[in-house]
Amino acid sequence: MLEVKNLTKSFESPSGKVTALENVNISIKTGEFASIIGKSGSGKSTLLSMLGALDTPTSGSIKVDEVDISKLSASKQTVYRAKKIGFVFQQYNLIPNLSALENVMLALEFGGMASGKRKKRAVQLLEEVGITPDEMLRRPTRLSGGQQQRVSIARALANHPSIILADEPTGNLDSKTGKMIFDMLHSLSRKENTTILAVTHDMDIAGKTDRTFTLKDGKIAV
Amino acid sequence: MNVVTRGIKNAFRSPMRSGAIILMLAISIGLILSMLVARSSVNAKIDQVKSTAGTNITISPAGVFGFAGGGNNLTSTQVDQIVKTSHITSTTATLNDQLASTDTNLTPSLTLGNFGARQARFESNNSSSSTSNGPTSAELASRPAPTPHTTVTGTTNPNSISTNGAKLSITSGATIDGNSTAYVALLGKDLASKNNLIVGKTFTAYGKTFTVNGIYTTGNTFQDSGIIMPLATVQNLSGQPGQVSSVIAKVDSGSNVNASVNSLKSTLGNKADIVSQAQQAEDSVASLQSISSLALASVIGSAIAGAIIILLAMIMIVRERRKEIGVIKAIGGTNKKVMAQFISEALTITVVGSIIGLTLGVLVSGPMTSSLVSSSQNSSSSSQLIARTSGGPGGFIRGGFNRVGSNLTQVTSSITPQVFAISVGITLLIAIVGSAVPSWFIARISPAEVLRTE
Ligand SMILES: Nc1ncnc2c1ncn2[C@@H]1O[C@H](COP(=O)(O)OP(=O)(O)OP(=O)(O)O)[C@@H](O)[C@H]1O
Ligand SMILES: [Mg+2]
Repeated sequence: MLEVKNLTKSFESPSGKVTALENVNISIKTGEFASIIGKSGSGKSTLLSMLGALDTPTSGSIKVDEVDISKLSASKQTVYRAKKIGFVFQQYNLIPNLSALENVMLALEFGGMASGKRKKRAVQLLEEVGITPDEMLRRPTRLSGGQQQRVSIARALANHPSIILADEPTGNLDSKTGKMIFDMLHSLSRKENTTILAVTHDMDIAGKTDRTFTLKDGKIAV
Repeated sequence: MNVVTRGIKNAFRSPMRSGAIILMLAISIGLILSMLVARSSVNAKIDQVKSTAGTNITISPAGVFGFAGGGNNLTSTQVDQIVKTSHITSTTATLNDQLASTDTNLTPSLTLGNFGARQARFESNNSSSSTSNGPTSAELASRPAPTPHTTVTGTTNPNSISTNGAKLSITSGATIDGNSTAYVALLGKDLASKNNLIVGKTFTAYGKTFTVNGIYTTGNTFQDSGIIMPLATVQNLSGQPGQVSSVIAKVDSGSNVNASVNSLKSTLGNKADIVSQAQQAEDSVASLQSISSLALASVIGSAIAGAIIILLAMIMIVRERRKEIGVIKAIGGTNKKVMAQFISEALTITVVGSIIGLTLGVLVSGPMTSSLVSSSQNSSSSSQLIARTSGGPGGFIRGGFNRVGSNLTQVTSSITPQVFAISVGITLLIAIVGSAVPSWFIARISPAEVLRTE
């Protein structure tokens, strides 16, 4: 269960205060696949960064399974990101110096898995998202965008997170590949009962999700 | 794969850049080692020169330099003051005089040569030199050849004439008692052979008959053309009773030399020039001293340069990988892990750089030290020339000091374990500086950085 109450986030910028999120209230049930739509600058990425404990809210609360993550200490937030959250980004954000396999193993290391078990689990995850053994040993630059995004999904799933936060995961992909990625996320949420919150511009994709939130100027529109 | 191996792997992520950083670092580390070697070698030489310097102090009348200059001889009262100065154990007093052909039946064994002739022209008050431009060559030729003088040294200790600081070498006969008033003399080898004099024969000087007690040799042509007599004899016969032209005072220990010089300076005031062997040694190693401080400055400079190189490199790398650090933090990497990874990267670069640098340092430290020493000795050769001429006319007493300068270039550079350990220590310090500051930056990078699009 994910519960956001009166969430406000404002930034100090040279021209004054920018309120990216204002009094946002949402609640998503465990295992639900929800989407967020909205114009550029409406605060979608800001909302995801609050939910993923990448940044702290100005006010309001974010409760994940009854724990207010915005009140956690910095080191507890790191643990929360490692174990409870899986991120999927528009630019994939794989570590360029590491192979696909090593990228997934890195997440397993941060999740606290014993070093001897990581490789087997990483291979299994990569197989699930359709990465061939040859591709596993390649660096991200030697993989296509779709392949990189599949590796990043495998990385997001590595530690059995309770929530996957995806910020325009199909933004850099063609519509066919984008659909494939979305279907993959969809089936995983069913199988592992993972809550998924995905930002998208694609109304087709948004239409297929369980729920869709619309952000407008930092507020949830109804 | 753990943080350490990731850091090592990252160190070679862009081989060209890492290579350039490593090279710069290696050069500065090589410089640190070779300059430390130069410094310790030069310092060892300085210590050696200083520790072997004698405890003698030379007191000469102010303004007198050899036979040149003006000033009055030291009086017997001043000599008494010198003798009574604390820590001075013994003194040797000397009075120099010159015998013209009218004063003695001896034929000088020195020919004037160009140098002597130029000095002599001041003494022959020739009225013919009316032209303001000095004598023409014709005038010089027509002028009667000036006759050289024979130098007489009256001394309380004939051994002080020795050029090498050891006992005066007597080739035949025996030395004389410097404290007597007898008409006895030691003749220089050249003067004796020129006049066919052997031990036991006599000659006249100051209108008195002197007995040749012994023949000495110093290896210095000027000095081997002179006469040594007891001090009092020269004082009485030359009409300068009680006067001396220089005193060499021996101090009981090296640590008291400076105190004795100071108390002599206060008692004698500006009437005398006081030079200690320790001071001379100090002066002669001045150029080495400047190499030593130059080397120290280089060590510090190179260490700072090395630290700045690795620091800037790491800051550059951290800035460049801002987003990557954000990604690592976003997927649950702790600050500690990210820092450890970057420290291991910085250490890898430093270790590789220092292995190359230390090897470089070992190879170049020898040539570097000797080229530093020899180039500085060349530049100071003019000042050494002056020091040498002071050992010439009348400067017998300084003979022993000149040896110091000659082997100053023989500085042997050796890499001691201590110097090597210091270099490694400095390198480690560089690595710490190079890692600590970037780590501080790393800790401040927010995981939200991951959402920033470039
Ligand atoms: N670190 C920041 N400092 C200042 N302002 C910020 C910062 N991050 C976001 N903003 C502002 O907050 C608002 C919301 O930004 P956000 O990135 O959430 O938009 P978005 O909906 O994700 O847009 P897009 O669809 O283009 O990604 C924008 O006006 C943006 O300028
Ligand atoms: Mg966005």
